[in-house]
Amino acid sequence: MPDSTFLDSTELVLNMGPQHPSTHGVLRVILKLDGEKVLGTDCVLGYLHRGVEKIAENRTYAQFNPYVDRMDYVAAISNGLGYCLAVEKLLNAEVPARAQAVRVILTELNRVASHLLWLGTHALDIGAITPLFYCMREREAALTIFEKYCGARLTTHAFRIGGLQYETYEGFEQECKDFCDMFLPKVDEYEELLTANRIWMARLQGVGVLSAEECKEYGVTGPVLRAAGEKWDLRKAQPYSGYEKYDFDIPTCQNGDTYDRYMIRMQEMRQAVRIIRQAVDALPAGPIMGKVGKVIKPPVGEAYVSIEAPKGELGYYIVSDGSTQPYRVRVRPPSFVNLQALDRMIRGGLVADVVAIIGTLDIVLGEVDR
Amino acid sequence: MGSLLRKIFLVDLFQGLGVTFRNQNPKYICTEQYPAERPRIAERYRGAPRLNRNPENGETLCIACNLCALACPETLIVVTSERNEQTKRKDLTNFTYDTSRCMFCGLCEDACPVDALELTQDFEMASYTREGQVWDRQALEEGPRPKQYKC
Amino acid sequence: MPDEQKPEGSPAPSEGGGSEAQQAKPPAPATPKPVPPKPAAPPAPKPPAVMMATPWTAPLAEDLKARFGDAIKDTSTYVGQNFVVTTPEAAIPVMEYLKVEADFDYLVDVTAVDWPKRPERFDLVYILYSFARNERVRIKTYIKDGDKPKTAVGVHLTANWLEREVFDMFGIEFDGHPDLRRILMPDEWEGHPLRKDYSILKQDQRWVRENLAIESGQ
Repeated sequence: MPDSTFLDSTELVLNMGPQHPSTHGVLRVILKLDGEKVLGTDCVLGYLHRGVEKIAENRTYAQFNPYVDRMDYVAAISNGLGYCLAVEKLLNAEVPARAQAVRVILTELNRVASHLLWLGTHALDIGAITPLFYCMREREAALTIFEKYCGARLTTHAFRIGGLQYETYEGFEQECKDFCDMFLPKVDEYEELLTANRIWMARLQGVGVLSAEECKEYGVTGPVLRAAGEKWDLRKAQPYSGYEKYDFDIPTCQNGDTYDRYMIRMQEMRQAVRIIRQAVDALPAGPIMGKVGKVIKPPVGEAYVSIEAPKGELGYYIVSDGSTQPYRVRVRPPSFVNLQALDRMIRGGLVADVVAIIGTLDIVLGEVDR
Repeated sequence: MGSLLRKIFLVDLFQGLGVTFRNQNPKYICTEQYPAERPRIAERYRGAPRLNRNPENGETLCIACNLCALACPETLIVVTSERNEQTKRKDLTNFTYDTSRCMFCGLCEDACPVDALELTQDFEMASYTREGQVWDRQALEEGPRPKQYKC
Repeated sequence: MPDEQKPEGSPAPSEGGGSEAQQAKPPAPATPKPVPPKPAAPPAPKPPAVMMATPWTAPLAEDLKARFGDAIKDTSTYVGQNFVVTTPEAAIPVMEYLKVEADFDYLVDVTAVDWPKRPERFDLVYILYSFARNERVRIKTYIKDGDKPKTAVGVHLTANWLEREVFDMFGIEFDGHPDLRRILMPDEWEGHPLRKDYSILKQDQRWVRENLAIESGQ
C-alpha cells in the first residue's frame, strides 16, 4: 500500500510512565511506535535513586544492613542475606548451622512472597484481576511470619552479620509448615485460573522471547534465564548458606517466552515450599550468632558474593580498607541488568505487549535505581 | 414450564444470594474495623520508641551511655547527660528521637545494654507538624501527646 | 587496596597515611573517612594494611600470562576469588579471549572504585562468570582520572548500561560506547556522586534550584 496516498503514518514517540501503573514503579519507557508496532525503546531510570552505594561508604557495616532492605523491598530478606554473606566472606566468619537454616527458611518464604506479588500484579496487567486478591491473601500469611519473627513485614532487617539477631519465636516451625500445607493447593488454584486460560495464553505465548544465548549476552539471570532453557541457579551452582543440604529441582522451560517465565515462577514457588519443609524438619539446635565481635572490621580486601534472589543474581562487591566502614559497596542488581534486555524483547512487538514484558521481567524499581 | 417457574420465583436470584450470604459468615470477614477494633500486633513489632522507667521508683533506666546514638544509621538519637558528682555516674538530662527519619531497624534497641530504649508495638505516630515527629524525653517516656487539631 | 602485592613501584595506596603526591584536590574528606564513633579503637598499627592475596596459578592464569605477557600484571586470589590485573589496554582483549576461548560468556558486573590518593585513580573492575566452568574471574585495571578506557560493549552487550552507570557515578568515559549518557542521575547533573571527593551531603545546587524550585533536597 503506498503510504503517501493515505494518511501518512509517521513514527510516534510515546511516553510510558513514570507514573504508568503497569511499569511497577517509577520507570519511564520512551516508545517509538509505528502504529501499534514498537520500533524501539529507551528507558529513563533514576526516579527512585537514593544513592545506596554512597550511603554505604558513610555507614559502618552493621549500620548499612537496614538500607539494603530498601532496594528490592519486595524481597528484602534476600537482599539482607546477600549483604550479610558478603561481609561474612570478608570477615571469614562462620555462621552457625541453625542460623543458616533459619536464613534459608525465611529467604525461601520471601521468594514465595516476591513471586506472589509478581504473579498478582502481572496478571492484573494482563487483565486478570482475580489472582491479585488471591496472591495478596497468601502473601499476607508469609508476611505475618516475618512480622512475628523480626517485627517488620516488608523492610525486615531480619539478619545480622554473623548470624541472626532474633531467635525463632514459639510455634515458628509449625507456622511454616502450616504455610506450606496451606500454600501448595493455592498454587494449583492459581494455575487453574491462569495456566490454560485462553486469554492468558494468547497474551503471553510467543511474547518477549529471549533465547539462552541472548540472556547470557545481556547478563539476564533468574527465572528469565531458566525459562530460556539454561539450567542455572546459584543455589545449585555455588551453594551458599547451606543450600547444598536441601533437595530441590531447578525448573526449566524451552521457549523463553513470557508464558514460560510464568510457568517457571509457579514451579519455583513449589520448589521453595519443598525447601522450606526440609529446612524446618531438619532445623538444628544451637547458637544463632557466629563469632564476629561487636565492632565489625574486616581486613583489607575485597569480595564479590552473589545469591539467587527471586529476580536473578544479586551480587555484592565489597571493598574493605580495614576500617569499620566499607570503602566501596557495589550492588549488582538483577532488576537493573534484566531491564536492559527490555529493548531487545519488545522491539517489533505490539504496544500491548510492553506491559506484559515489563511485568514478566519482574523488576522492582527500588532495586533498579538503588 | 419448569424454567418459567424458575423465573417467576426468582430461583436463580436466590441461589446467587445464597452464595453471597454464605460468605457473610463472620469467620470469613477479614476487614478490621479500625480504630474501633485494634489490629493484632506481633510481639516483636518495631514501632514507636519508648524510654523505659523503673516501675518501682519511676527513675529512668537509661544510663546515658550513648550506644544507641552510635548504633543508629541515621544518627537521629541525641542523648545529653550530665555527670552526677555524688554517684559518679552520668545522669540523663534529655533524649531526643527523630521519628520522622527513623526506619525502625531496631539497631538502637539491640545496642541498649540496659533495655531502656525499646521499640514498642505502638504504631500510631502521626503528627500534624514535622516538629511533632521529634520526640523528647518526656514523649519517649510517657508516650506522644498529639495536639488536638482545631479547625 | 587491591594492588599492593606488586613489587614494582606501583601505586601503594597506603591506607592510613596518604603517601603519593596528592594533586591539588580541595580538602575534601576524600580518604579514610573520619571513622566516627569507635569505642575501644585498637592502637592502630601504622604499616598500611594490604590485601593478603595469594598468587593464582591455575592453568587458566598461566594461559593468560603466556598469551598476553606483560599486559597481565598480576593474577591473584583472595578469599577464594580469582582476579587478574591487566593494563588498561589489555582489559578488553583479555575479556574477549576469556569469552571466546575459556567460556566466560557472562559479564556479571562492571564497576569502579575510587582511590583519590593514587596516581591511577580508579580501579575498573569487570566480573566475569563462566556457565560451563561454574567459575568467576575478576579483571581489574587501574586507570587515571581522565583516561578513556575502551568500552566492553563489543564483547558483552550487558556492558552498555553498566558502563553508563560507571560513567554516571565516577565520570569515567568509555571510548566507543554507543550511548554514553547518565543513567541514574538527571542528565544535567554536575558531578559524579561516587567519587570520594563528592561528599554525601553535596548536591548540584543549581539543578535542584532550577528543577525542583527548592534550595536543598535534604
